[in-house]
Amino acid sequence: MIRKKEVLVLLLAGGVGSRLNILVQNRAKPAVPFAGLYRIIDFSLSNVMNSGLTKVGVLTQYKPLSLMNHLGTGEAWDFTGRSRGVKILPPRTGSRDSDWYKGTADAVRRNIDFIEANPTDEVLILSGDHIYHMDFDAMIEYHRSKKADVTIGMMVVPKNQIHQFGAGITDRFNRIIGWEEKPKEPKSNLASMGIYVLDRKYLLNALARNKDDVDFGMHIVPWAIDNDNVFAYPFYGYWRDVGTIQAYWEANMDVLRRDSGISPQKWRIRTNVEVEGGAADRAPARFGNKARVVNSMISAGCNIKGRVENSVLSPGVVVEEGAVVNNSILFTDCHIGRNATIDLAILDKKVSVGEQAVVGAGENFKLANLLKPTHLYTGITLIGKGAQVPAEQTIGRNCVINSYIREEAYPEKVMEDGVSLFPDGEMT
Amino acid sequence: MILAGGRVDELNVLTYYRPKSAVPFGGFCRVIDFSLSNLMNSGIEQVAILSQYRNYSLINHIGTGAAWDMIGRYRHVSILPPFTASEGGEWYRGSADAIFKNLDFVQYHEPEDILILSGDHIYRMEYQDMIAYHHEKNADLTIAFTRVPQNDAHRFGVAAIDDEDGARGGRIEGYWEKPMDPESDWVSLTVFCFKPDVLYRALEENQSSQSFEFGRDIIPLLLRQNCRIYGYKFCGYWGYTRTVEEYWQSNMDLLGEKPRIDLEQWGIRTNLEHRGIRDFQPALVGDEAFIENSMIYNGCIIEGMVKNSILFPGVQVGKGAVVENSVLFFDNVIGCNCRLNKVVADVNSTYGEGTVIGPEPGGPLPKVSVIGWNNQIPDQTIIEEGATIYPNLKNGAWLRHVKAGEVLR
Repeated sequence: MIRKKEVLVLLLAGGVGSRLNILVQNRAKPAVPFAGLYRIIDFSLSNVMNSGLTKVGVLTQYKPLSLMNHLGTGEAWDFTGRSRGVKILPPRTGSRDSDWYKGTADAVRRNIDFIEANPTDEVLILSGDHIYHMDFDAMIEYHRSKKADVTIGMMVVPKNQIHQFGAGITDRFNRIIGWEEKPKEPKSNLASMGIYVLDRKYLLNALARNKDDVDFGMHIVPWAIDNDNVFAYPFYGYWRDVGTIQAYWEANMDVLRRDSGISPQKWRIRTNVEVEGGAADRAPARFGNKARVVNSMISAGCNIKGRVENSVLSPGVVVEEGAVVNNSILFTDCHIGRNATIDLAILDKKVSVGEQAVVGAGENFKLANLLKPTHLYTGITLIGKGAQVPAEQTIGRNCVINSYIREEAYPEKVMEDGVSLFPDGEMT
Repeated sequence: MILAGGRVDELNVLTYYRPKSAVPFGGFCRVIDFSLSNLMNSGIEQVAILSQYRNYSLINHIGTGAAWDMIGRYRHVSILPPFTASEGGEWYRGSADAIFKNLDFVQYHEPEDILILSGDHIYRMEYQDMIAYHHEKNADLTIAFTRVPQNDAHRFGVAAIDDEDGARGGRIEGYWEKPMDPESDWVSLTVFCFKPDVLYRALEENQSSQSFEFGRDIIPLLLRQNCRIYGYKFCGYWGYTRTVEEYWQSNMDLLGEKPRIDLEQWGIRTNLEHRGIRDFQPALVGDEAFIENSMIYNGCIIEGMVKNSILFPGVQVGKGAVVENSVLFFDNVIGCNCRLNKVVADVNSTYGEGTVIGPEPGGPLPKVSVIGWNNQIPDQTIIEEGATIYPNLKNGAWLRHVKAGEVLR
């Protein structure tokens, strides 16, 4: 039988991404919509497809339903066929009940039977959380040419950001000779992108060594650096961890700018348009007689009668006459009533904004959300899935309107900056 | 059974490389999507398409039929091209001959009713209502009719329908195919519902004739035999689109506050795999763009002005360019400072900087100019109204100035 060199891909898609606040109330972080038509995980999956890799396991854990719907058969990424496939790997308990994955290595260890059932030369481990374009095939070639045991995708980041990452120190052959996980005072600015190529046997041995090694960055990688051949694969280009509302908003705005280096279409990013609410069955976007659209992304099925500026609109968004949408991200099937104003806001699916309402009022961008000051502190207001905003309602900056809130739940016509509204009408 | 074979000469360069049914329409779909979506929305999912003219584009478009949910154990769409037989074999000699040559396919499915329709028209129809009327009347044949201005009726099949069921329909007393002097303004939509045995017999008898068309031959034959033929009256929008002007007008009917054609309300589906349009990102609208009363699909990049126009996936409009009253098919690239007024542009052309097609906007609407596919129009070219540019022009064939109504080959 002909056997060519093969690589198994394990995509870690279980992350809660809790700093994305209500955007991850009903879905895992990789399933959060991005750039109008896509989900965050589309970038990793499309990179896998465009690298010619065809065997993928997606490790899920947190709220996997939306993600599973989106993956479907994997046909959107050409993963259907006799020798190809994408498998959803739901979490399994270990010997005890109710122990969730304790880290990236733990997650892979508990799916070791999947690795054993798909014997390949190498295993590529990556996360479904990032926006980037990368040729894994080149990285695998690099891994082979270096005769490495482990190769880690790494890129240079600003010194003040390195504390969020694993940081590596390399010699002149790109061999990693030092490692710090999330260092307070970094010695290097070379950050791990959480992309690992490992020889399959090496991976199995490393996982078998010590059951308390639950994380690649914290345990497996430092041990390997001390004992074996670990190389850095340098990446240059656009790469974002959109794990915070601010980073998520900025990356969406980057798509509007020609010089930002991100282009889903040029990157050949694929998405599943067949899922409910997706792009299939949508007519071309309609622009009315009084529409004014500037520097924006407009998906099929939108109906624009008002003004839209510096914004990203998913399919089926309606902007009525006199309404103004600025610096905002609107998910599928939002409806913005006549003369309403949306400024610096992210609206989840099927949000309905009444006539004359203002979302993002006033100039006080600095008063952070009172409940989650680390989530919202630059002025962005969030409105959850299916929520209603009553006519003539005013909502300030850094506010959160939780999912499915009805008009009746609003206790007063003006919501101050930094306030969160809950379904029972409670404001915090 | 969808009749989708015709080229329609009047559509000129648009049907140079594809049958009329595969001509793009409405900013993302094809003409035949209206018939296919009507069938899907009527729950009729055993479908065959008869096609013999340049059907590569059509075959590509139909794909597996999954776009219209016509894939499953009891649902399918088959394309039936002409074939050779042990003795000879030949092209379809007409619409009736096409069905006759595929009677084995039809009979294999043991149909209770046979619906035959043209894949060339723009309309939304619930076929089940017509089939219910057909059963109610115990008709041998029921034909859908719509009303057109009397002076236009000579272009169609015209029927005299009695008042048996008022606005719903009635028995057909007379039928004339493209009469010089029409006696009625009810014209055939080319939607026929047959009792199978009546169809089989009529097609058999028609074989000894010299002409093989439903309108010209089969309907008069059945009328002569006193068969029960009923007219089902249809009152909705019907786009016939047999000339470039009509085709342009039907596209314009998609625009406005209350469009006469509402793609989403009509439930129109298309095959997003065809030309890979599912892979386009959302339309990008630039800093200096201005878009008014238009439809724009994913994959467009708009830096200039677009008014009263329909842009298919992948169209780019450069800075300073003005596109008005136009229909631009897939992947046309309009250079900076171009001015297009009332243009129907087939796929994959580039328009060099400063190209002007049609008169300055603002005046009375000019004649439509038609640009064939895969052209590279040189910078500063001037094309006057009503011109026709053939597909795939060699660079040497271009003129700096194409006069009104001129045909450039």
